[in-house]
Amino acid sequence: MSLAIPNGLDNSVEQPGERAPLVLGDTTYHDITEAVCQVAERKPSTSWVIGFLISFALLQWLGICILYLIYTGVGVWGNRSPVFWGWPIVNFVFWVGIGHAGTLISAILFLFRQEWRTSINRAAEAMTIFAVVCAGTFPGIHVGRAWLAFWLAPYPSLNLWMWPQFRSPLLWDVFAVSTYGTVSLLFWYMGMVPDLATFRDRSVNKWRRMAYGLLSLGWSGSSRHWMRYEKAYALLAAFAAPLVLSVHTIVSFDFAVSQVPGWHTTIFPPYFVAGAIFSGFAMVLTLMIPARKMLGLENLITIRHLDNMCKIILATGSIVGLAYGTEFFIAWYGQVQEEKFAFTNRAFGPYWWAYWTMVTCNVISPQLFWFKKLRTTPWMIVAVCIFVNIGMWFERFVIVVTSLSRDYLPSAWAYFSPTWVDWSMLIGSFGLFFTLFLLFCRLMPVINMAETKSTLAKQYHVANDGDH
Amino acid sequence: MSEHNAPAPKSADDPAFVLPASLAALRLPLCVVGFILMLAGWLVASKIGEFGDNFGMAVYLTAAVYCITIVLGCLFFVLIQHLVRAGWSIVVRRIAELVMVMIIPMAILFVPVIASLWSGEGTLYRWDRGLEYGVEHGLPKEVWSEKLRWLNQEWFTVRTVGYFAVWIGLALFFFKNSVLQDKTGDKAITDKMQYWSGPAVMLFSLTTTFAAFDWVMSLAPMWFSTMFGVYLFAGSILGAHCLLAVSSYVLQKKGAMRDEVTVEHYHDLGKLIFGFVFFWTYISFSQYLLIWYGNIPEETEWFYVRQIGSWGTVALVLIFFHWMLPFAGTMSRHVRRKPGLVCAWGAYLLVMHYVDVYFMIMPSVEGESPGGVMGVVASIMCVVGMAALLSGLCLILAQQNKVVAVHDPRLRESIAFENF
Amino acid sequence: MSENNEKKVHGVVAEYTSVDTLLSACRRVRDAGYVKTDAFTPFPVHGIDKALGIKPTVLPWIVLGAGLTGTATALVMQIWMNTIDYPYIISGKPFLSLPAFMPVAFELTVLFASFGAFFGMWALNGLPKFSNPVFTDPRFDRVTDDRFFLYVDSKDDQFDQGGVEKLLGDTETDYVQTVVDDDSSDKVPKPFFMMWGLVVGLSVIPLLIVLKMRVSNSSQPRFHVFYDMDFSPAKDAQQYSTLFRDGRAMRPDVPGTVARGEEQADLNYMTGINMEALTAIDRPRAERLVRRFNPYFQGETDSAEDAKADVAEDAGQGDASGQGDADQKTQGSEPESAAAAAGDDTSETTGSESTDTDGGASQPAVAEEKPSVMDTTPWLDSNPLVLNEKVLADGRRNFGIYCSVCHGMNGSGNGLVNVRAQKIISPDWIQPSSLHQETLYADKYPDGKLFSTISNGIRKMPGYSGQIKTRDRWAIVAYVRALQLSQNASIEQFKDIDESERAKVLKEQADTKKALKEKADAEAKAAKEKADAEAAKAST
Repeated sequence: MSLAIPNGLDNSVEQPGERAPLVLGDTTYHDITEAVCQVAERKPSTSWVIGFLISFALLQWLGICILYLIYTGVGVWGNRSPVFWGWPIVNFVFWVGIGHAGTLISAILFLFRQEWRTSINRAAEAMTIFAVVCAGTFPGIHVGRAWLAFWLAPYPSLNLWMWPQFRSPLLWDVFAVSTYGTVSLLFWYMGMVPDLATFRDRSVNKWRRMAYGLLSLGWSGSSRHWMRYEKAYALLAAFAAPLVLSVHTIVSFDFAVSQVPGWHTTIFPPYFVAGAIFSGFAMVLTLMIPARKMLGLENLITIRHLDNMCKIILATGSIVGLAYGTEFFIAWYGQVQEEKFAFTNRAFGPYWWAYWTMVTCNVISPQLFWFKKLRTTPWMIVAVCIFVNIGMWFERFVIVVTSLSRDYLPSAWAYFSPTWVDWSMLIGSFGLFFTLFLLFCRLMPVINMAETKSTLAKQYHVANDGDH
Repeated sequence: MSEHNAPAPKSADDPAFVLPASLAALRLPLCVVGFILMLAGWLVASKIGEFGDNFGMAVYLTAAVYCITIVLGCLFFVLIQHLVRAGWSIVVRRIAELVMVMIIPMAILFVPVIASLWSGEGTLYRWDRGLEYGVEHGLPKEVWSEKLRWLNQEWFTVRTVGYFAVWIGLALFFFKNSVLQDKTGDKAITDKMQYWSGPAVMLFSLTTTFAAFDWVMSLAPMWFSTMFGVYLFAGSILGAHCLLAVSSYVLQKKGAMRDEVTVEHYHDLGKLIFGFVFFWTYISFSQYLLIWYGNIPEETEWFYVRQIGSWGTVALVLIFFHWMLPFAGTMSRHVRRKPGLVCAWGAYLLVMHYVDVYFMIMPSVEGESPGGVMGVVASIMCVVGMAALLSGLCLILAQQNKVVAVHDPRLRESIAFENF
Repeated sequence: MSENNEKKVHGVVAEYTSVDTLLSACRRVRDAGYVKTDAFTPFPVHGIDKALGIKPTVLPWIVLGAGLTGTATALVMQIWMNTIDYPYIISGKPFLSLPAFMPVAFELTVLFASFGAFFGMWALNGLPKFSNPVFTDPRFDRVTDDRFFLYVDSKDDQFDQGGVEKLLGDTETDYVQTVVDDDSSDKVPKPFFMMWGLVVGLSVIPLLIVLKMRVSNSSQPRFHVFYDMDFSPAKDAQQYSTLFRDGRAMRPDVPGTVARGEEQADLNYMTGINMEALTAIDRPRAERLVRRFNPYFQGETDSAEDAKADVAEDAGQGDASGQGDADQKTQGSEPESAAAAAGDDTSETTGSESTDTDGGASQPAVAEEKPSVMDTTPWLDSNPLVLNEKVLADGRRNFGIYCSVCHGMNGSGNGLVNVRAQKIISPDWIQPSSLHQETLYADKYPDGKLFSTISNGIRKMPGYSGQIKTRDRWAIVAYVRALQLSQNASIEQFKDIDESERAKVLKEQADTKKALKEKADAEAKAAKEKADAEAAKAST
């Protein structure tokens, strides 16, 4: 049953005509089950407990800040005229962007038959959902009276006698983000059911068995079920792929349909999508590299996986760079005074530090991935990815704040400064994200066992084939 | 079902990899007839007085841009297959490689456009008339003179030469190496091409973006849209996949690569065509929506002329027949698994791509109507002629080489490839 | 196996360790003619549907239907809500903005289609189903780990337990087992009910609290969650504030401004009415007028009572002046007098002036005969401004801006708006008055009345007090008088023209008249001759 692949092989090198293995070591089906289930079945490690406590503390702090905000009013933020879309919207766009990599890995790479996605898609999908939760928090509280946020829904109201405004991109956003959250959740859960059944069948504890039994809906692994399941999975992937495009496109519409200089430019939709994928992949890597080490999943999440993701980061980073350049060029080529000013102001105005941080982190740092050495050294990948995450946060900051702080009316210009609540909420949102992610690691199958096994089955096939 | 069940690739000398004689016989007639038809179309269009002197040149430019976009689409197809180490596409990659070399004749065919530019009468590009144009149209002097620093004959020519140089370089590099592998079967060549495909894609995106700005967008000199490069690219990559589907089908009908290209490859091409129809729609809709919603006079001019009168009808035609009909038509798996239907949709979309290019270029040039019956006939003559000329040249090249990359190390994987 | 014999047998299952052995077993079972078979695997095995003869699923059609429903729902919803039921203009976009409706249409298509795929798949699979006979075998737990099972159902037509067991035993398996009924209790364990009860119980508590609050009374003051929203933190008069250096919350007037009600207004100038005279004949109305300009004014009459009448004043003024306009009996005025006669609620508005004038004793029936309040009001006879060139120039400018669009640049009543209204034959258009009719001359229509009409409007004409400053309204009055003079002045009105000039003008007048008369005569003569010639021609 063993494979003729030595342990510790560098599978990032691929001989043309022979596909490099995606599962390493003398791994069997049962080994995969063991490797993934032990993560949830053994006692939590000290590092997990510490990480969880820190994240949970940050989450509490976020909760306190939200209560303080609701009780006092949005004045506790740094949002002042003319920058009414300050950090909350920056954070919203940042988190929505982070989420995109999950759907990209699970849906688009699935449609492109990229089999290396199998061992990372589960965690990336989970990340999507948690990122959408973080993202959804910000516009929710940014509306001011958060308890009236349900007014955004098109329900027949007996005291308002009116309907929401469907010609507004902000309402499109409500639909896009909620659809995205829902579909991601369905996709994630559906993909998890067979693995939850594995958890169920391995449970010794009666209560555990019952809980996972309920969640796995009585999955038996029947071939007929698998057939419909695969069809449904492919269909959901086919919807999720354009959906993920549409979500960040619509987020970009929030800006681009307006006439604010620096916001109104037609490249925004594809450029936002590329940026979202860029930041999302960086976040996946930032999480995966420590996780694979801590959870002992190096044979399933291999160097090849990391290498491929780095290449995607390099590609999307270059697209983002090209978009920055195009924007600048067209601002000059178009010769519209306000546009020209907006872009000069970005690079050389009062927020020059934000702009150049963004360019350094987003355009220059991923170029390091041209070197294979960097693409295959985990700690270097993490370093670059953290830079990318910082850069992408700054990108949203640059877009939101520089354009708003200096638009058509010079008498209204002002300099935006965040308050301690802004800072707390940004950090707190990471607490929310990591709390959910760490809980997920403990309670759910972090790797898609069923799919990894079918990758392994194919590998067997090739290996057996080579024998005769 | 999997590659161990598939037959090993035929030997490199197998007749299945050679251009069928019936097609090879067409190469000279296609060149001659194509050339004559192209010139005839151009001349007819130039003689139609009612649309002005520039109509002939515009028709020629439309045909040239149409052909270039498809050739570039094929170039991009080749680059991206190397970049992602694709296995499925090896059997059809050579067709794209043959087409992408046609960028060399396209460079020569582009000379008249540059020549007309140097006439300095604004026959095609209105900014060509320099400051005078700005004065006539009441453009602020500081704005217009600044724009002229980008839009002037010298710099435009230099850029055009640059674009072609980059594309010819890329096309030749990848073509020569691929052909070399046919002879030597050296696996290292695959690695080499993969290694260079990354920088190549970057160069490609940079040049196509700016080529779209220069050649098409600057026809309306005051208009600008950052998305425009992507818009032209969306049509271009769609056209390339359609051309691949059509040519594989024709080659197979004539007897080449019958066992190599299977229903699975058509299925994949069908999916990609479907995907790129969606992508084209996404890009063009986003561009329209943002400009429509923003409603700023500087930007709306481009869509304004395209929304009124008979151009409005053409816009509707694009909505219904470049998006809805092919979108619904290629959605089903059953359609994609019938090579004849995939080929038919490919051919149909190649026609629609021409409508799209026509819609991009003509209103900016003559601005009023789609050109009348004679105008349309002349432009069709011109583009069909140019396409035929290129096909003829392509067949000459194909005859000298194999139509499949016979020694590609992933050929076996590609032949055995199956959708599931 | 014998101990299971009493239980119902559902089928036979065999275990395999690899995909290949399973597939070959599947093919054998299929070729033996079994139809009701199934394989259980830890991951989807490709090619098993062929090996077992499984038909493709109808799921894509369900999803297509759901997706199209989503598109239709989104489009109908948006068009109904924003185009039909609650249309309002936003950023100049049409009510039916298809491009703007596309994003939501797309999202709902995806959402519905995904629901179709997700729920459709579970429904077709008959899941959730927690009790399954195959689960009875503990060995079956490895189906989600690394074992593959092939199952033949006893419902198959050619099922025969011994035969099937033999058939499966011949394949590469070392474990064949019959599948029997699940004999474990089918009762849901008690703790589940307890948990469920607990959750329901806890979630009901807030509802009960809300309910109790809704139905019961309490003597306690309301609990204020958002104190600042319920009680404004703004300071009251005479309070201390740390915001200002002088420590006072009340602020003195900003230099150069006048607070509301502090203005020492010249009411005659503001209203165009001789207030002293009005007070003499109609005190309540005078007080209401004063209150309009000074809300702090305390009159003799009860202010609350005539608050309503105050509103009526605005409407009444415009309407009543319409009746006073003798020349133009318009549609506007007639229904009102009819309404007044009928004595319904609208008479409160239109007839309120007359009601007030005779102390509330008037009868609706006689309201018609009473003189209009517009005629009884003591209007100012002369323009309070000192007339000079600048005033007239200002009047002319403002007339050009505000009045000429309807009344025309020369006041003849044929401005651009009127021209357009005539052209499109607007059904509710009322022709603007020509300012050159005699009823509008200063002797019949005093300056004060004209001022009041400009300020408060008449018929279709809105009041302009909000847009044109008081002084400029008076300037317009002056300019209108000048316009009237310009059209119909006689030379006698100009006393201080020197004689030679006067003689010259008179001569010019006479010459023009004469020339016009000669021309008319000549034309009449020519026409007559022509007619005669034709008659003669016809008779011959």
